[in-house]
Amino acid sequence: MGKLIKYEWRKQRTSRVVILISLAACLVLFLGGLIFQNDPALAVAILLMVFGSIFVLFYTGIESILVLNRDLKTKQSYMLWMVPRSVWEILGAKYICAFLQMLFVFGIFVAAACLCTVAAVLSGGGIRELVKAVESLVRSMANVRVDWGMILIDLIWFAVSMLIGWTEVILVGFLAVIISRTVLIRSKFAGVLSAVLFFVIIFLIERGMSMLGTLPWGNVSGAAPGLEIWQIVYYLLMSVILFLVSGWLSEKKLSV
Amino acid sequence: MILECKDLTKTFVGKRAVSNVNLSLEKGRIYGLLGENGSGKTTWMKMIAGLTKPSAGEILYKDHPLCYRDKAEIAYMSTEPFFYDYMKVSDVGQYYEDFFSDFDREKFTEIVGKIGLEDNMKVRNLSSGMSAKLRIAATLSRKAVLCLLDEPLNGIDYKAREEIISLILDEAGEENTVVISTHLLEEVESFVDEAIFIKAGEVLKVTDLEQERITSGRSLADIYMDIM
Repeated sequence: MGKLIKYEWRKQRTSRVVILISLAACLVLFLGGLIFQNDPALAVAILLMVFGSIFVLFYTGIESILVLNRDLKTKQSYMLWMVPRSVWEILGAKYICAFLQMLFVFGIFVAAACLCTVAAVLSGGGIRELVKAVESLVRSMANVRVDWGMILIDLIWFAVSMLIGWTEVILVGFLAVIISRTVLIRSKFAGVLSAVLFFVIIFLIERGMSMLGTLPWGNVSGAAPGLEIWQIVYYLLMSVILFLVSGWLSEKKLSV
Repeated sequence: MILECKDLTKTFVGKRAVSNVNLSLEKGRIYGLLGENGSGKTTWMKMIAGLTKPSAGEILYKDHPLCYRDKAEIAYMSTEPFFYDYMKVSDVGQYYEDFFSDFDREKFTEIVGKIGLEDNMKVRNLSSGMSAKLRIAATLSRKAVLCLLDEPLNGIDYKAREEIISLILDEAGEENTVVISTHLLEEVESFVDEAIFIKAGEVLKVTDLEQERITSGRSLADIYMDIM
């Protein structure tokens, strides 16, 4: 499967390069703003990075779906489907690669955020002053003590939740594309129908989670940002089901 | 017998591309798959290559139902370009080497050099003729048990055709089977053992050309015109 992943990874290289270059430009702008004490430049850089991270995470996921669509629709599909690998390996490689792609994007934006923080702290006179300022701000606003360990765990948990939730959406997108190229292949409206199916499946999955949330053990505590453990398990279970349905349809019906 | 098709059928929207084909291919033979445009040659090949699922019927490869593992022994060359746009000629060699254990990288490099391609050429910048040559180079660099060539001489200049035919003959041997679909009857007549005539998705006749030459002395073109 490693070789399949290698070639899947290569398909989104251009996007990764563009993202890296754009992020590097934002970092230069941020550092320039710090060095020359130019607040508008700092603000623009931060805004670009914050909104860019959301957009880019969204875009890379959508691009994975578009790559799958191309791999089923164009002659380039022969490259993938002529190799002596099972449908499960081929789809598995695609799914893993889509997740890795999002992880990569997420990782570089986290690294950029860390770099910006370190640079700001060094420029502003040390981390201790920053920590004190934040603690005093929180105390004056909410009258609580800042637990930095908990904040870090919450942030990581929130990131993991976001990645898992978004991966779920991508997997639904994969299934919708596969349905359009198999079950709906004879329909003139395969594209529209698969788009509708995409939203219907998402709705059903979310509805299922809402229903589970009404059960006693399913109550959302709301104490921490992100998903509850049972919600993560639910999403993982849905991911397995989506993969199995996609694989079964491809195995039985897919012609390129 | 290397391959057997039993009542093989493929239906597209409102059309039977391949209809109840019963066909057996023997080891060590070169077959010419002959028919008009849209007669079902490509669809049949794609089903054997495992790219298209049959609507009905059965494909037996070495006496077992065709499965994905058989793709390791079956080489297919499409008539249209299918390499990834980002690839260079050398990447194509690497791709085949990564996925096909029967791929001979040295042979690929040798063929590529012989047909005027260079390792660092971008696939997307190749002319249709050069692209066809690259597809042939990649496919014929495999020591496949069953080699399916869909219009391998299309878009190829006269001089290169000779080279390609020579490559195909090098590839063909006692242990493997080659199927060539083509419209260029004169080009393949000299080396094809059997001709499969296909029309409107149905196999009309399979003719042993050597036998035909001895008995009737007719050319492949004459037989084709009679049958079609």
